[in-house]
Amino acid sequence: MPDATAEQKQFKFKVVLLGEGCVGKSSLVLRFVENKFSSRHLSTIQASFQSKTVHIDDCKAELHIWDTAGQEKYHALGPIYYRGSNGVLLVFDITDRRSFEKVKNWVLEIKTCLGKTAEILIVGNKIDLEDERQVSRQDAEVYAETEGALYMETSAQENMGISDAFEALTSKMIDHARTNTTETSTSNRSIRLIDGEEEGRRSRSKKCCR
Amino acid sequence: MSNKYGDEDESKKAKMHLKANDLLCVNGCGFYGTPQWENRCSKCWRAHQNELKKSQDFAKNKSLLSFDQFQERRKSTTESKSRGIKNLFKASPIPESGASSPTSTSPASTPTRRRDLSPDSLEARKHFTDFLVANLSTAMAQEIARSVKNAVTKICEMRMNPDEMSELVMSYYQYLGERIGGHSLFDSPDCKVKVEDVMDQVEKYISTCCYTTFFCASHEEEVADVSLQDRIRSLHWVTAGFLETKLVFKKQTVRDKIDEGISELIEINAKKSAFEKLECLTRSCKAVFEALKESESSMSADEFLPTLIYILFRGNPPLIQSNVKFISRFAIPARLMSGEAAYFFTNLSCALEFARNMNHESLQMEKAEFEAYTTGHLAPPLSVINSACNQAMYVLEGTIETITTVVKKAGGLASNLTGVHGKADDDLEKMLIVIKETVDFYPTEEYLKMKESIFGEEQETADLLVSLSRQSSESGRGTLSTSADSQPSTPQPQLEPSLESPLAAFSQK
Repeated sequence: MPDATAEQKQFKFKVVLLGEGCVGKSSLVLRFVENKFSSRHLSTIQASFQSKTVHIDDCKAELHIWDTAGQEKYHALGPIYYRGSNGVLLVFDITDRRSFEKVKNWVLEIKTCLGKTAEILIVGNKIDLEDERQVSRQDAEVYAETEGALYMETSAQENMGISDAFEALTSKMIDHARTNTTETSTSNRSIRLIDGEEEGRRSRSKKCCR
Repeated sequence: MSNKYGDEDESKKAKMHLKANDLLCVNGCGFYGTPQWENRCSKCWRAHQNELKKSQDFAKNKSLLSFDQFQERRKSTTESKSRGIKNLFKASPIPESGASSPTSTSPASTPTRRRDLSPDSLEARKHFTDFLVANLSTAMAQEIARSVKNAVTKICEMRMNPDEMSELVMSYYQYLGERIGGHSLFDSPDCKVKVEDVMDQVEKYISTCCYTTFFCASHEEEVADVSLQDRIRSLHWVTAGFLETKLVFKKQTVRDKIDEGISELIEINAKKSAFEKLECLTRSCKAVFEALKESESSMSADEFLPTLIYILFRGNPPLIQSNVKFISRFAIPARLMSGEAAYFFTNLSCALEFARNMNHESLQMEKAEFEAYTTGHLAPPLSVINSACNQAMYVLEGTIETITTVVKKAGGLASNLTGVHGKADDDLEKMLIVIKETVDFYPTEEYLKMKESIFGEEQETADLLVSLSRQSSESGRGTLSTSADSQPSTPQPQLEPSLESPLAAFSQK
């Protein structure tokens, strides 16, 4: 249980991975959590749910990383996945312009669903295939800045920039959690919407259930 | 009697005044209607009766489905009539601090008209108290037990809709968590359990108690569940390969794991507490991962979700929506926010959402095709049916495969045989050549003798021929020239086979 009085040192974050199929979401997680890569994608570890603790300065943050199905037909299920998450990792393939356009859709959706409760990190993956690049670094950076998101480039195959990306997102989430302690606690407590009546109900229920 | 006749007369009279239009069927189909069919024609009357029967049946089913709930609700209304919810708040004595005056308040806090706990709840209570006694100090155990007992009493008494109750239970979890969380007892190394473990047990007990009253409480929920089940049944054909799972059904282990996943998914409904329901779900999802592993597919979410949807469609678990709702209402919120179970729970929610909204677009096919499959007018093409799912079909497929391989092997054998034949012929020819060469180079004595004798005979014949030709030239040309030509030619054919005969003998050997 995090201590709210002193400056918080321990955190628990839910991070959701979004992005089109085949952009390397799962590889990214596997590389980050297990430091493994397999081009054939034949691993014995399930990459869909992973957790890893990240140390930033003297803070300890436990990241729960949720992989999502990227196929087009499951696009509509996104909100169920990212509801209640602290951070969203949007992955696209720098050699595939379309996957970048998809990221833009996701950003819009996340902003309407989560508001400003979640930090967004856009990741351009597969920079080892620099020759086939279709999305320039500058384009992506400019776009991320306009949306108030971070932008990083990685390569799961060459293990480039992955831990940096996760650390950057974590430190942003820590800042966010510190500035909005009350906000995050309410959104964490219940997955249902909570209106103004909540507080009154709470006090009443305390009485009745003690 | 006379009265009746009079009535009839009157109606007859009344009828006389009717216009032809009024006699027509009320549905306006152009046929004449009759009063006993409520002014409908025979066709419309039959249709009307069918409709009526359908709606009656539906109402009957609905009431049958909700009978248990109905009894519950009647009981609840009679119970709560005497005590309004507001009264409850006032009447129940609230111990200011549970630890200070335990003995005096506890008898009073147990209300007289408390409903008996169900056997499951009693068992859960026993389990819960055993856990507390075994793992915590007596004072702590007593405090927690009392608090939870009071909460459970309230839950059993209070009649409110599940969502309101859920909010109360949620805030109770939070309150209790904060209360025991601050205790120094849990920090000491002697303590074997964590706050989370205690909360797990609390949740287990409370949600079991909530189960009887709040699981699938409104019959709308039940109807929604039944209709979802119907929908899944009508969409059953999608399991025939349309979900694009990467499962390898030919493997027995994969099929076993899939079956395991399905039975665990169905098992969710058999469990009472949210904790156990989630455990079932976790086991089910783990089995799915095992199946993916056996199929040598990747184990990312890209593969996992379709497979989960697949087992959802295959299993069509009963009351699954109500179960999901129950879990989200009465499980500790933290459990549904992070951790493995939360991830699986979210995926199940996604799978259900997908099942509810599935249409031709989500499968990327023509609308007409989708509807034809759903209504059963069209069977999915054989090529996409995973016949391996069906045991009999699987055996059949296996047999066909064996036969195909046998036929293929037989073909191979036949072509091999012709090859061998051809090779044997070739070899024979080669051998003959070699033998001939060998015999030419290293002739045997017999051969030489024979050759000599033949050579001698040839010489003799040649000599004879020479003398013969001389004789004939002397006697005169013309008539004998032909006989001279023909005569030496007759022994020659005899010579030829004799030359060949040893060779033929060799080759025959």
